[in-house]
Amino acid sequence: MTSTTVPVPRRTKTIDGWRWTGRIFLAVMLFFTAMPMVWMLVTSIKSGFAAMQIPPQWWPKEPTLASYQKLLDPNNSVGQDFLRFFWNSLYVSTMTTILAVIVAVPAAYAFSRFDFPGRKPLFFAVLLRNMFPAVIFLVPLFILMRALGLVNTHGSLILTYLTFGLPLAIWLLKGFYDNIPHQLEQAARIDGATRFQAFFLIVMPLSAPGIIATAIYSFIGAWNEYIFAYTFLNRNDQLTLPIGVQRFFSENTTDFPGLMAASFMMSLPVVVLFLLLQRYFVRALTEGAVKH
Amino acid sequence: MPAFIVMLIVIAYPIYYTIDLSFYNTPPSLQLRDKNFIGLENYSIILSSEVFWRVTANTFIWTIASTIAAFVLGLGTALALNRDFIGRGVLRAIFIIPWVISAVAGSYIWKWIYHSDFGVIGAVLMQLGLVNRPPNFIDSVGTVLPSLIVVNVWREFPFAMIMLTAGLQTVPEQLLRAAKVDGANAWQRFWHVTFPHLQNVSTVTILLLAVANFNSFIIPWIMTGGGPSNASHIWITHIYELAFGRQRWGIAAAYSVLLFLILMVLGYFYVRALSGGERKEGGA
Repeated sequence: MTSTTVPVPRRTKTIDGWRWTGRIFLAVMLFFTAMPMVWMLVTSIKSGFAAMQIPPQWWPKEPTLASYQKLLDPNNSVGQDFLRFFWNSLYVSTMTTILAVIVAVPAAYAFSRFDFPGRKPLFFAVLLRNMFPAVIFLVPLFILMRALGLVNTHGSLILTYLTFGLPLAIWLLKGFYDNIPHQLEQAARIDGATRFQAFFLIVMPLSAPGIIATAIYSFIGAWNEYIFAYTFLNRNDQLTLPIGVQRFFSENTTDFPGLMAASFMMSLPVVVLFLLLQRYFVRALTEGAVKH
Repeated sequence: MPAFIVMLIVIAYPIYYTIDLSFYNTPPSLQLRDKNFIGLENYSIILSSEVFWRVTANTFIWTIASTIAAFVLGLGTALALNRDFIGRGVLRAIFIIPWVISAVAGSYIWKWIYHSDFGVIGAVLMQLGLVNRPPNFIDSVGTVLPSLIVVNVWREFPFAMIMLTAGLQTVPEQLLRAAKVDGANAWQRFWHVTFPHLQNVSTVTILLLAVANFNSFIIPWIMTGGGPSNASHIWITHIYELAFGRQRWGIAAAYSVLLFLILMVLGYFYVRALSGGERKEGGA
């Protein structure tokens, strides 16, 4: 590498040119990405009057948390509704996540370790799930749920989210199990562990990142789901957040600070969850598509 | 695997059911005893309606424009973030947030930004003296579709960025360094070294984006409901409105069958791209 000294000046120049292009591009993208979210936050701390000033107040003259107080106050009707929607979303998403993990862990393990017919169907199921829009399934599922008496219950949502989420969850987890060497379990078996013990003591801890990723994926998916909840739920006390917020503000379209505060509250749990655990999430998501 | 049987039923039965339903004239109540067989009439109604062609054109503009823009911006951010610098992790996390939050929240935020009286973009354009009155971004036929595409791209480019970032990690460092020593400039290194390595992941990303965009619902539904005068209706929102809005179940089912056929074509390419990737991996 002795020859590198000669071309250095020329090379740094070209790289600098590209570096600046990259920086400017990133700055523009940062503005495009963050501006809407910043504006949501700014609006949410305005009064209803301040939000409708022209030209707009870039920063509210009198910032107020009134919108948040209203949403979170169990003593007024707005707060009661909002907190109930929040709770419903939390319940449906948590139940979906727990059940998805319980079902996906053994299923993915079986797919990874045993050779039996069903590998292809799983792959196919993941494809189908990605391909077909919920709309195709809505009418038949609606009729099915009506027949089962599940319309207007959270059970209908949990069941639906599970059937649509499981193929991908199993697929994600299987990738993690595939990367854990069989020899580790075999060694444990030789040392006298049962297959069950080997799984719990050796494989489970090693696949924890995969399980976490699967759980986040299920949670975020269920938390943000709109179309099934919109179709299956009708009763006001059953609605999840996306539907609840929509009902709520379609009657009162002028309360923009309230709507922005609700949007923020709706986004907060998934963003926090995601930021805490993004390493696992991003890895799991890309592992299937990009083989290292 | 009982789970599979359940899944098969849940996926296969609705498809069969939809095909069946598309040959019937169904009452609004969805009381299926009262349906009567009308053959292909639903299909001929659809194909002869003006709305069908309008919505089809919208869907293709929406899908193609969103996919290309999300891919290009995703590739750009992935490349720009591929170099190590302070704040890279933070920037990447910020970029991903639109994709993580619900499309419902995103739709409300943009609806507010585009608002024809109090929208912030309109206000800025006015202050700059570029327009006399705030534009009706999503209330006018001419601008609604591009405006919604911007929102969709805002939400989707992070997905392309994640996929392509992962793809960039498979590009061998030595090859890039070797090219550099040989005097290749940044563009040549990208075109001859990086890009060929990204081809598989790019194909999969583009197809996934295309399928997701084709199947979009929330953004157009919440922001405009397909309006004004169908200018932002795409297939999915139109089918939903036909079924649950106007109770035209048979026609909605026929639409779904047509949609299904289109998706089969996309699916064919998707499977081919995926199995192509696997074959290459097997050979390596």
